[in-house]
Amino acid sequence: MARPRWRVPDVRLALVGVLLVFAWIGVGIRLIDIQAVRADQYAEQGLDQRIKHEELAAVRGTIFDRDGVELAVTMEAVTVFADPAVVREPEITSQLLAPIVGLSAEELIQRLTAKSRFVYIARRLEPEEAARVRDVVETESLKGIYFEKEFKRVYPADSLASQLIGFVRDDDQEGIEGLEYQYQEALKGESGSQIIERDPYRNPIPQGQFVVEPPVHGADIVLTIDREIQHAVETALVRSLEETQANSGTVVVLDVATGEILAMATAPSFNPNRRSTADPVTFRNRAIADMYEPGSTLKVVTVAAAIDQDVISEETLLLLPSKYVIPLEPDPKVYTDVGRRSEEEMNVAEIVARSSNIGTITIQEMIGNEIHYNYLSAFGLGRKATGNLPGEASGLLRPVEDWCASTCGPSTAIGYRVDATILQMASVFATIGNDGVWVQPYVVKEIVRADGSRERFHPLKRPVLSEVTAQTMQKLLRGVVESKRGTGHRAAVAEYTVGGKTGTTEKFLPELGRYSENARVASFIGIAPVSSPHIAVAVMLDNPKGENAEGADFRFGGVSAAPVFAEIVQAALHRIGVVPDVP
Amino acid sequence: MTTYTEALRHESSIDLQTSKVVRRKPRFRLWIVFSVAVVIAFFGLIFSRISLDQTAFVLEDLEQKIAEEEARHGALRVEVARLQSPERISKLAQTMGFVYPATFIALDAPDEAMFADLENHRIRSPVLQAAQP
Repeated sequence: MARPRWRVPDVRLALVGVLLVFAWIGVGIRLIDIQAVRADQYAEQGLDQRIKHEELAAVRGTIFDRDGVELAVTMEAVTVFADPAVVREPEITSQLLAPIVGLSAEELIQRLTAKSRFVYIARRLEPEEAARVRDVVETESLKGIYFEKEFKRVYPADSLASQLIGFVRDDDQEGIEGLEYQYQEALKGESGSQIIERDPYRNPIPQGQFVVEPPVHGADIVLTIDREIQHAVETALVRSLEETQANSGTVVVLDVATGEILAMATAPSFNPNRRSTADPVTFRNRAIADMYEPGSTLKVVTVAAAIDQDVISEETLLLLPSKYVIPLEPDPKVYTDVGRRSEEEMNVAEIVARSSNIGTITIQEMIGNEIHYNYLSAFGLGRKATGNLPGEASGLLRPVEDWCASTCGPSTAIGYRVDATILQMASVFATIGNDGVWVQPYVVKEIVRADGSRERFHPLKRPVLSEVTAQTMQKLLRGVVESKRGTGHRAAVAEYTVGGKTGTTEKFLPELGRYSENARVASFIGIAPVSSPHIAVAVMLDNPKGENAEGADFRFGGVSAAPVFAEIVQAALHRIGVVPDVP
Repeated sequence: MTTYTEALRHESSIDLQTSKVVRRKPRFRLWIVFSVAVVIAFFGLIFSRISLDQTAFVLEDLEQKIAEEEARHGALRVEVARLQSPERISKLAQTMGFVYPATFIALDAPDEAMFADLENHRIRSPVLQAAQP
């Protein structure tokens, strides 16, 4: 039988069949490759596309005042950005959005037409502002405008205690000034993370992978600052600067028994919410960063040391010459008293009340340099007052071994050759008000961590004066305000007994290396009420000028700083609820 | 009289009938039950997956709402703090004509007995009783 011949259609059919078989074999091989051989690799690639590793930002801790009212708080804000490649009508978009985001239309057009795929339109808008932008974008169907959630640091009380609280850097919300800087580690917290499966539209895939390591939010910080007292202090200070034309002013209010700083203010100040427009000079917390020679306010240490050592009493009479001369070559050093040109007999109370330089120098000679130095050191001079505030100066108290035999003792007795911060000086007077016990001043009352644990601050304490000496000093300080020839009568308060000491120091000009002929640092530091001291208030004005309505020179602490002291004492004692001790 | 062959045929038919009853009926019912069970299990599984997914979406929505409410709470806290700002209040007080009093009158706080009397009086007073919440 003859073998049938292959016809062309049969050959084609066979070829197609063969091709199909190969195709199916190819598909099968690929299937096996995908599903079996490299299954894990492809599964991993797919998972990589869906799995997102996201950082969960920790919310920065809040800074509260002593009553639990927010002074610095982090809130959610919205950043608006654009992709210029997607924006269709930059002119219309800019005209609609510019007034809301606070940019000019021209500036916004520039951004929207930039050769970039990402430009910021507005950063950290508050929710209401962001809602307005979102409304416009949605109603006008603007393309290429996007929104992103960010955190923003807000200071609800604006400029209140701004130098103390400080502020954070805009970009990364890291503290760069004040307590925001000092307590950065506690406030910032620790970021968490999450691993989550998302679809191409960034929606979470149900039943997908979801692993969360929650963030540890920043700790809250509770301050000792009393907002009402702080406001009263700042108001009084600003008014005083307007009146006296001083370059700057600084005030500290301390609770004498606890060491709590109730208020700490420097004027001029700034608003941390709008600090881009502020003068950086105003960022400085002068109460702790600036040192000055305390002048007559430091005489209290000289006198207290002598009384505590039983060298003198308040009644001790001293014959004071018209001037005190130290024979130095080529120019002798001459000390005088303001308004006194003849020899006069004064008791210690009068020496303090009239702020006699010669009287204080005489007392210092009676105790000697070493005892004097020991008391200055015990009062905390030459060491940081709190030890935990940024930029805090230690002051300058030279070791007694370095004191010269001629002018060092007398000059130190009347408040020169010693540099101190206004906080250190407030602490000296608080010690007298606290019956001789020095208490470390502090401003951070407690740190409340995210887990609820609390870390309270316990100030150091040490006795400096005997209780009797301290009470004698309180009486002498009262005399400065109440006695007929006292230099501090303008510090008197109608309802309370107050005591304090005036200070007027020639301002040292470091650039010239000498003291100014006209510029003065005027101060008044005191305690109130003297019958049972609650607070110590220190006021310092840098270079006040002019005269008051009575023609008195503002350069004197008793003229410019004492009235500020009185105003603050009244407001603070009312706020604390201290019953008046003057009927 | 039944022959052997007839008897055999009779027996066989009975056997065949019996075998049909015994073998075929239970197998049919089992298949039905099994099929229905499989279908129910299949739809049950789908339903449970859908329910789970829906719950996941609801959960996502709730978490979103919680986040929104927390953000709103934060914003309100800031607003309260701003409204309480002493600077704002003192400015408002000045525009409303408030001034610091020229004289300060301190009141002695009554002792506990006086407070107790005050409380008793308040409770006895019909006007105050009506006013109490």
